[in-house]
Amino acid sequence: MSRLALSLRINGVTHDVLTEPHRTLLDVLRDDLGLTGTKENCLEAECGVCTILLDGRAVNSCILLAAQCQGREIVTIEGLARAGVFVPLQQAFVDHGAVQCGYCIPGMILAAQAYLDECPEPTDDGIREALAGNLCRCTGYQKITDAVTAAARGLARARTTQ
Amino acid sequence: MSIETRVVGKSLPRLDAAGKVTGTAVYAADFALPGMLHGKILRSREPHARLVRIDAGRALALPGVRAVITATDVLDVRYGGGLKDETVFARDRVRYVGQPVAAVAATTREAAEAALAAIDVVYEPLPAVLDLEAALAPGAPLIHEAWQTYTAIPILHREGNVCQRARIVVGDMERGFAEADRVFEHEFRTAMVHQGYTEPRAAVAAWDSAGQVTVWSNTQLPFEIQNTLAEILALPPSKIRVIVPGIGGGFGGKLRVGVEHFAALLARRTGRPVKVVTTSEEELTAAYPRQGTRVELKTGVTRDGRITAKEGRIWFDTGAFAGSGPGVASVATLVLAGPYRIPNLLLEGYAVYTNKTNCGSFRAPSGPQSNFAVESQMDMIADALGLDPLDFRLKNIVREGDEGPTGQVLEAVGLEECLRRAADAIGWRDRRPAPGRGKGLACGWWTTTGGSSGVYVKINPDGSVAMNTGAAEIGTAALTGAAQVLAEELGVDLADISVVSADTFATPFDFGAQGSRTAFAVGNACRAAVADLRRQLFGLAAAQLGVDAEALTLRDKAVVADGKRIALAELARLSQASGGGLIAHGTFIAPPTPYDAKRVEAHVYPAFHSPSFHAHAVDLSVDRETGEVTVHRYVVAQDVGFAMNPRYIEGQIEGGVAQGLGQALSEEIVYENGRVLNPNLTDYKMPTSLDLPRVESILVEHPSLVGPYGAKGVGEPPNIEPPAAVANAVAAATGVRITTLPITAEKIALALRGEGPA
Repeated sequence: MSRLALSLRINGVTHDVLTEPHRTLLDVLRDDLGLTGTKENCLEAECGVCTILLDGRAVNSCILLAAQCQGREIVTIEGLARAGVFVPLQQAFVDHGAVQCGYCIPGMILAAQAYLDECPEPTDDGIREALAGNLCRCTGYQKITDAVTAAARGLARARTTQ
Repeated sequence: MSIETRVVGKSLPRLDAAGKVTGTAVYAADFALPGMLHGKILRSREPHARLVRIDAGRALALPGVRAVITATDVLDVRYGGGLKDETVFARDRVRYVGQPVAAVAATTREAAEAALAAIDVVYEPLPAVLDLEAALAPGAPLIHEAWQTYTAIPILHREGNVCQRARIVVGDMERGFAEADRVFEHEFRTAMVHQGYTEPRAAVAAWDSAGQVTVWSNTQLPFEIQNTLAEILALPPSKIRVIVPGIGGGFGGKLRVGVEHFAALLARRTGRPVKVVTTSEEELTAAYPRQGTRVELKTGVTRDGRITAKEGRIWFDTGAFAGSGPGVASVATLVLAGPYRIPNLLLEGYAVYTNKTNCGSFRAPSGPQSNFAVESQMDMIADALGLDPLDFRLKNIVREGDEGPTGQVLEAVGLEECLRRAADAIGWRDRRPAPGRGKGLACGWWTTTGGSSGVYVKINPDGSVAMNTGAAEIGTAALTGAAQVLAEELGVDLADISVVSADTFATPFDFGAQGSRTAFAVGNACRAAVADLRRQLFGLAAAQLGVDAEALTLRDKAVVADGKRIALAELARLSQASGGGLIAHGTFIAPPTPYDAKRVEAHVYPAFHSPSFHAHAVDLSVDRETGEVTVHRYVVAQDVGFAMNPRYIEGQIEGGVAQGLGQALSEEIVYENGRVLNPNLTDYKMPTSLDLPRVESILVEHPSLVGPYGAKGVGEPPNIEPPAAVANAVAAATGVRITTLPITAEKIALALRGEGPA
């Protein structure tokens, strides 16, 4: 099968990848680049564990061809914390007990990040709507919603003190 | 609680949080080895058929395909829990749609999938037994004609398609019903549901030159998988190493061998590491879901609301193999009794074979099904007698010192407090606040499962502490809870503890992450280890400080006495220089709970250890046009004994209610003619963030005499009561009583129009 030479910009680093055209971004992230923080489950865009940011929007990487991502900005969970320092959402998830098994959490945090970038003063309902594509079977979403609310408040405070 | 604590009882963040929010935590599905092949399973397309021929010739010729194995390539071994009826592959007969027929290893997943499609299988269909009624009918075809030849624990009562019948008999039923003013008989049904963990079942297996296989798996029970693989491969367990890298949810669905054996067999055949991961379709057609059930209850009550007798039967549709059925059918009888004082009981639990997928364990196995029937009927009786459902329950509940159904003496019974506090919080006395709006209550009890746990606790030369446990962390933060106990007892901080877990070669035995037992049992094992470490530390410190060992205590990461102190780090270094280092082996097994053996027959779980008690209350509205339910508020009051980490206990309650509401309102694996109609996550409807209310948790603390600091098991109970609480609230809101799960909008709407069965 013919292969495509792709240049993928992931977490601020350019990766040159040679891959078959049918392979998804999820395949390339996990199998070729070892970025297994992006999780794999239904492969039909039903559960959201594979959520990444593509040009700032939360998308399911399991139904996105790697070839569609050329020249675009990809952020995975590995790209959030810098030098071991959590972004506010990560810290809020830890502080609020929003993490149980944790398998949905990378996708959940990225979906929440995309939402807060768009809507810095969220409501509880807004958060729940933004996360509706990300299944979590452990938490009942309550502490996750609380964590996102707290992170938004922290970010708002940081903006006003700047 | 009056105990002053520093670490245990505090809402501290879990030890594995950082890896989980940064994506560095490795789960079994993430695990990979160089040169690894991908395994896939070919599954039966017939519910019941003779397997005439399997031809893998075309598949083996495809590019990238390295092996195809079938029943003829594996030993003819039957394995299983209490009843050994399963085989790796179907041999001459398939018994459910989804049963493994062959397995393939190939260089890529695509190649493996192509190979599956190229295997030719010829089936000769046989009459299928598609539900409980068909399986129990006189002259029904036997799912296992040779059932009598299977190895089973002798206590089981089996007969044809019934692979277990457990029974509780108390008092005199005739007299009990004669004493009643009214006798109520009702029937209930519940659907098959899936645990819904977000990480599929996954395993990687690799053999070494010494003939030893290592399996990295997301199992909840590495030691059981080790033993099961030993049976399947006919190897001593010492040749099988099972390691759990991380688990993305289990809820009981990852107890039994799932894909580990396929990975091990394919890896042996190919000489390469092999990874097998299930698809969503496989999960919903061929995993270990919760059994669908039918329940019949007959309850005698006096005019003033005293229960005089209860006769109950529950039939579990356990599928083509026993799975967890025999144990689940036994536990169910204790749940059918309810947390009530009833002098005369006849309760039976049946596990029944059908041509469906093999059912297993799901968070509080048997709990939601049995409790749905019991607690629905409590409200139906209260309504018929003109009693308030709360008052009716309070009149009959067990209290301190009462007997459980099998004669166990109940201690630390927080049920009345749970009921009163849940009812108060929901505003019970205003049960029908608006048209179409109603409130419901349900209560129950549950066990803290026994089994033994061992830990090695080592003090490092920098004063930090390694906790080495055979238990796996499935997400509940149970190992953080156990580490809190360890830190408390050892006088260190939680952050000083690191956890090594779930490796059958390197960690001590543990009965496994199941049955609400992990924090309870591992926490107690840690206390035993600290008792030993204390002796070691005090011996060393007494010599160093020149004081009597009796005068020493542990405080602030040091051994102290009379104003003198020596740091744990220094003692660890001293021990390394002189005595091989500081390490202790702590063990725990829950003491047996005495019960009256004359009251039980063929029962594998006759008493609840350190039982927990709980009450749920819900406030909801029903749209009278569409039947749609909107849950406004949900309150749980749970007697946790002692809250080891309140925030994560709330997390267990919120998550358990979420799963319970799924089972109550929307979840069902739908079978038609032996085939699952909804094997995907769009049509199998688990609650999303938009479907769930906030849950208010009330932690009640009646300390257990056995658990660490009085703790009881907390993980499973929140999953038990939601279906009954919802059914009761729907009835309060609409006057319509739905007696089958799930309580879908369609069922409610039809019932409101007087159409269709409830």
